[in-house]
Amino acid sequence: MEFKQVVGLRRSIRYYQPYRPVEREKIQTILEAARLCSQAVNSAWSRAIVVYRDDLSDDDREALKIPTTTAQLDMAPVWIFWYGDMSAPSLGKSTLKELVDIGALNPSHGWSHSYVDDVIWPQVLQPIAANPQALLALTGVEAGLAICQALLAAVDIGLGTQLVAVNQARATEILGVPEHLVPLVVQLVGYSAEDREAGGQRPRQPFEELYFEGRYGAPFERDDAVVDQLKRDGMIMSSAPAKWRHEEVRALARQFGLPE
Amino acid sequence: MATDAGTEFSLPEDLAELPSVQHWFEAQAKHWNRRQGEAEARRKLDVLRSFCETNQVDPDALVKSLFRPTPEGPRIRLKQRRIVVEQIATFEAKARESLDVRAARDSGNVVRSFLIHNGVAMTAPIIR
Repeated sequence: MEFKQVVGLRRSIRYYQPYRPVEREKIQTILEAARLCSQAVNSAWSRAIVVYRDDLSDDDREALKIPTTTAQLDMAPVWIFWYGDMSAPSLGKSTLKELVDIGALNPSHGWSHSYVDDVIWPQVLQPIAANPQALLALTGVEAGLAICQALLAAVDIGLGTQLVAVNQARATEILGVPEHLVPLVVQLVGYSAEDREAGGQRPRQPFEELYFEGRYGAPFERDDAVVDQLKRDGMIMSSAPAKWRHEEVRALARQFGLPE
Repeated sequence: MATDAGTEFSLPEDLAELPSVQHWFEAQAKHWNRRQGEAEARRKLDVLRSFCETNQVDPDALVKSLFRPTPEGPRIRLKQRRIVVEQIATFEAKARESLDVRAARDSGNVVRSFLIHNGVAMTAPIIR
């Protein structure tokens, strides 16, 4: 699938075919995409634990649920638990030197092993590692990049996917998660039971209220010709709700015995 | 929720007059953009009555029991919610003694729908 179509078709899928397993190679593809995301200091900021719904005991499965995610957790056969690794900066000294050695960080831009040892490590990475608030924010951003690529990869290979919250305290116990990992989100993966457009693209705030040019408050004005091109390319699609969406949702609710 | 010991529990003759029930029907109609027919409304009211009689609680009190007032506004009572989730599951299990799985689920879902449209997040285990 073309990149713009992947972006255009991504939805938070909330109805999955509960009986249809996801091929292991597709799960690997999702993880491979995550691994190749942009990552500060080229250190790995995210970890993931792939859990198969049907391998969990009934008690464990129930313990992870929260009120609004129960149905999706029942339906999606694969749950990927994403974590942020707060210890990632500690590897920076070696990972940055590796980037210098392979020609990614170059003397043309001021990089050298000495710069890493004498400046970046003591003046940048160590202070970040010692500042919990900054570290948490950075970890969230960096791990989020991996999770985003995992979402888009799932869409690209024809799967439905969504990020949900679970009872993270219980997840930590059940999955044996070490303390240095920060629980972030769970990515559900499965074959969608709803139409892949899921009723249309979700409402977004107006473009000009989000993006600025030159200074804050000066809108980056949207060019209609670009919008039209992106519509043709499949990135900007029909806005929700599609006329048939309510009927689709009611049919799905009845199929799975869910309330209306 | 239940009445005090020694007092006889009774429900109003017409549940549809209760604010929580009116709110349910109005919110559901607005959400789905469709008005339910008389027969459908009656069936739902009968199911809700059966649930409320089983658990000795009237619909308004049931909703009220699930929220606690706070200075920031009402907050859900999670323990009470868990109790009600169990009550619905028991109610549904009882219905399965005389109905098939889907019909029994429909009964449980009437109560869930009543609570959902009164602001209590609720769902059901899926039927696979």
